[in-house]
Amino acid sequence: MSAKYVLIVDDDPDLVETVSMMLESKGYEVGKAYDGVEGEEAIKQRRPDVLVLDVMMPRKNGYQLCKELKSNKWTEEIPVVLLTAVGEAVPTTSYSHAEGLAVEADDFIPKPVDAATLVEAVERLL
Amino acid sequence: MEKFERIRIGGLKVMEGGACVAASSPPAALRLDADVCAPLARNRINLTFLTHIAGDHDHQVLCTGAEAGGTAYTLVKTHAAPETAVQLQPGAAIVALYPHDQRPEIIGNFIRSLARARVRLGGLASSPSAIAALLPFRHAKAIVGQLFENFRFSAFASPEDFFAAQPPPAELVEKVVATYQEKVIKVYCIVARPDLDLWGAGISSATGLERLAGALMDLGELGWRLPFLAAAPELGSGELLVSFSTQGDRYGEVRDILARRLPGVKLMHLAPVAGLFLHGPHFGDRYGIAHTLTEALEKAHIPLVALSCTISSISLLIRQQELAAAQLVLGNTFAAPVACPAGPSGP
Repeated sequence: MSAKYVLIVDDDPDLVETVSMMLESKGYEVGKAYDGVEGEEAIKQRRPDVLVLDVMMPRKNGYQLCKELKSNKWTEEIPVVLLTAVGEAVPTTSYSHAEGLAVEADDFIPKPVDAATLVEAVERLL
Repeated sequence: MEKFERIRIGGLKVMEGGACVAASSPPAALRLDADVCAPLARNRINLTFLTHIAGDHDHQVLCTGAEAGGTAYTLVKTHAAPETAVQLQPGAAIVALYPHDQRPEIIGNFIRSLARARVRLGGLASSPSAIAALLPFRHAKAIVGQLFENFRFSAFASPEDFFAAQPPPAELVEKVVATYQEKVIKVYCIVARPDLDLWGAGISSATGLERLAGALMDLGELGWRLPFLAAAPELGSGELLVSFSTQGDRYGEVRDILARRLPGVKLMHLAPVAGLFLHGPHFGDRYGIAHTLTEALEKAHIPLVALSCTISSISLLIRQQELAAAQLVLGNTFAAPVACPAGPSGP
């Protein structure tokens, strides 16, 4: 049986690298993209079993991409974990959890990401 | 001129609006924590880019937001012993390419692009994912153009596409993404890499830089890894001091490649050394992280051989015999998960 494929989309390359290392160590196949537009292209190339998606990104933010995926019948079933740098941790952000709920993400992980929590969330959605 | 096939790569960032402060000193005339990182942290100055290379003389280069540049320069100058040379270079930018996957051919190709674009290079720093160059902002367009000659980017077809896609306002060095401050700084993971060799070379020209790039690409052809690379200017001589690490059991082969590619260049070699790689989060966006690290190591009397901080992470090299002590110190200083995956391995 082939490994489950997780796509990580985040404009912080070190975070992508770290999360990717963690998921690969658990036996997942991992794809990487560095902004919303690139993430969208990567999904067209190969449908992920789970999408890990940052919110604040250039060109197309995570909320926009999640909303588009959830309103398209070909991609609406892809489970999405949103990485949200919002709330108490980052008071300067203009993003809110309410927007995340509105775009029907399947799970939310606050940044800075707790790696174990993220892996658990991915495994729960597979 | 050698002909290479363009390498497909994930992404590219240009962060403008920076100021660069470089310093060269005899050892102990400028202490990395007490004279650089601590005063900057006390003044809430963020270090988006920092490299430190120790040797007969110590060399460091850092980048702050443009407005903090003058203060950073004054702080370093005030704390340094009189024999320290300190220089301020406003109008700096950071150009970062990722992911390098520790592949020397990617890092080499990046350096080759810098050489061919004839940029005045202020420093180089590697993170677990990225290789970053500090350079005058006016050279950013030239280097991006050259990078498109040597790499294929999945998100952009041309330099024009890249610049058109940059969100207004342009991404700034001083941009603070995360403002949170923690009692104990959280780290995604701390990865240790023992049994490394440290190599150093003084590069004095674009031709020398291109030769160094060729050497790294030779290492890449052999399938080897390059977990660490940093460079800082040697003020006075005009040379750029480049330090990088390779797996320790390849001494003879690396020496031969460097000797062939860099004739006449005095090479520095130190072994065994160990690398410690602290993966984020947001180390490049918050002040005081480098200070916390360097203060802990200085208090424990663990000398740094080299350090590189860019993007979200800090990488450091120490002598191998200090590894266990350094791991203990960092484990007590930062909140890190108990188990970390090892990351890319191999020769």
